[in-house]
Amino acid sequence: MRDIFSLVSASKVALAALAIVLFWIFVAIFAPVISPYDPLEQDSTAVNQGPSAKHLLGTDDLGRDLLARVIHGARVILVLAPVSVLCALLVGTTLGLSAGYSGGMVDEVVMRILDGIMAFPAILLYLIILFAVGASAINVVIAITIAGAPGIARLVRSLTLDIRTREYIAAAELRGENPFYIMFVEIFPNAWGPIIVDAMLRVGYAVFAIGTLGFLGLGLPPPAPDWGSMVARGRTYIWINPWAVLWPSLAISSLVVGLNLFADGLREEVTRYQ
Amino acid sequence: MANFIVRRLLTMLLTMFIVSIFIFALAEIAPGNVARNILGAFATPEQEASFREQLGLNQPLHIRYINWLVGSDWRASRLIGMPLTRIKKPGTDFYQWWAVDEDGTLVRWKLEEEDLIALRRQTDGTVEESLDNDRWQTDEEGVSRAWGVDTHNHAVMWEKGSGETYWMRAKAAGWWVEKSGGPRTYIPLQKGMLRGDPGQSVQTGRPVADTLARRIQNSAILAGIAFAIVMPLALVLGLIAGLNEGKPTDRILSVAGLITTSTPEFATGIFLILILASWLKLVPGATVFGSERAIFENPKMLILPVLTLTLIELGYVLRITRASMVEVMREPYIRTAFIKGLPYSRIVFKHAIRNALMAPITVIMLHVNWLIGGIVVVEAIFGFPGLGKYLYESALYKDIFAIEAGAMVMVFFAVGTQLVADIVYTFLNPRIRYA
Repeated sequence: MRDIFSLVSASKVALAALAIVLFWIFVAIFAPVISPYDPLEQDSTAVNQGPSAKHLLGTDDLGRDLLARVIHGARVILVLAPVSVLCALLVGTTLGLSAGYSGGMVDEVVMRILDGIMAFPAILLYLIILFAVGASAINVVIAITIAGAPGIARLVRSLTLDIRTREYIAAAELRGENPFYIMFVEIFPNAWGPIIVDAMLRVGYAVFAIGTLGFLGLGLPPPAPDWGSMVARGRTYIWINPWAVLWPSLAISSLVVGLNLFADGLREEVTRYQ
Repeated sequence: MANFIVRRLLTMLLTMFIVSIFIFALAEIAPGNVARNILGAFATPEQEASFREQLGLNQPLHIRYINWLVGSDWRASRLIGMPLTRIKKPGTDFYQWWAVDEDGTLVRWKLEEEDLIALRRQTDGTVEESLDNDRWQTDEEGVSRAWGVDTHNHAVMWEKGSGETYWMRAKAAGWWVEKSGGPRTYIPLQKGMLRGDPGQSVQTGRPVADTLARRIQNSAILAGIAFAIVMPLALVLGLIAGLNEGKPTDRILSVAGLITTSTPEFATGIFLILILASWLKLVPGATVFGSERAIFENPKMLILPVLTLTLIELGYVLRITRASMVEVMREPYIRTAFIKGLPYSRIVFKHAIRNALMAPITVIMLHVNWLIGGIVVVEAIFGFPGLGKYLYESALYKDIFAIEAGAMVMVFFAVGTQLVADIVYTFLNPRIRYA
């Protein structure tokens, strides 16, 4: 942990990025405390207003306070993104371990199917899921898991192929351990490092994807305060009330940029020290 | 080499086949929704069943898949005993299916009470009605049946006396009306995806292929212009950044590149609308396109979508070019050139650039999936009438045939570009070519 901090503090950009990310995590944790209003509370006397003393960031087309909605939106996205990445990690690791350790037919079939999914533009996958099952938090997680798992599986497979040839795997096989034990107790802990770094990078991508899904109407169903769907809704009123699209757009951009700059700075510093 | 290309082509076909089954199976989860969505929440179960039957949605999955892939007309033609043909209704975008008589006249049928009426199309386009009860075939149980083409592009089987009630969308009423004299079985007529007819839009009734062709053209124009701006700009900026590794120029370009790439497309689009159209009033504010031809009538409307796409792609290409240039500049042969005393410009232009550009060019081709994602979102923000928006709207309105066809086209582009990239790469890289 200390190493990470000293690495990050070496780069001003990474430090600034970390500050942005920590800011949003703070906002998400303390959302109910710092939010001035209920994000769902409608005020028909104050519709489509600009920033004022009463509503610091203005209101949307239903008179809901934008500050409250942006604050609670941070909660939505910062819960959904890590959960989706964890699910993708679970599916991808299992597939990668089985393909890499079993080899032969299993490997061939699993990897061909994953290649097929990777040939698929992710956006198309989202649209088809939108078409087939509609919008909900679970579907967001499913969409991102399907889009992300093949990449993780590939990485885990290549690590497994390498680790499989080590002596301690042969030893475990001689002991008569079952394949699951070997995959998850012997191989996985030794492939852990690169997988975690990869997963960190994926959180930024997941936030990006969740925003896009929300914008396309596959996010949380209304009236939940989801940044992407706030933009999609405000898009209709952009000429009379630019604030309703500006704040959520700024919020998601800053979060994704923060996450990516941080990951990038970290990677650069790590490679420099190596 | 030929072996390699053939193998890759086969893999591509296999991928597209798997994808088509995948899309079909996923769409299958939804058919209840399809009917619900078109008919509205107040449709009765009878109306829904009738609608599904007319669209052929009640048939088993494999039959529907075959109909969609290679068409249903050949099967229907065998049942009717006459060849079938598809003509365009004069003055419209809509197609009509007719059976062809021995003497070459086009004919369709309708059922009135107990009588089968043949509608023969005359050469001047008018239709002549005549009684055609010879087509009835009676089986051992005394039930009379007849196969024919109805006036709504189905091959149908009528059963004498049964006169099923069915529901159809009446143009005048704008709503669903109950009619009698309906057939027992429907086969929706289509030529099939492989023969260029993926069916008609459930929403508008227009043939998907025609709309799709225009939409692809619009998207190609948008992507083409953006590409022509992005590539030279990003490559030059990337080379500059790579040559100044670690200096302020590089830091600024790299960070700016990462920021534009990380910002979600919809947010970039919103920022550009707010700054350029709403605040500075530099470009037309009305970014919603009226018709499908609007981009030719008012090219100014292209500015914002193109700019958004440019910003998104710019950073990505820039960073890859930079990384590649940095790597090349560290190669021993570049060091040798420096030690040999060659002038800096000669080293850069003659020795470094050629090798540095190879990686970005192939990686960009491989990254077409990403560009597709950008195009879909940009088209959705600006209401641009392209392939992406067509797919997006089809998904929203559960337009089953439109989304299947659009998805296949998109996958074809994605997989096809990757194939081309692989082949180009093998040509560029002798180590793979001669391996």
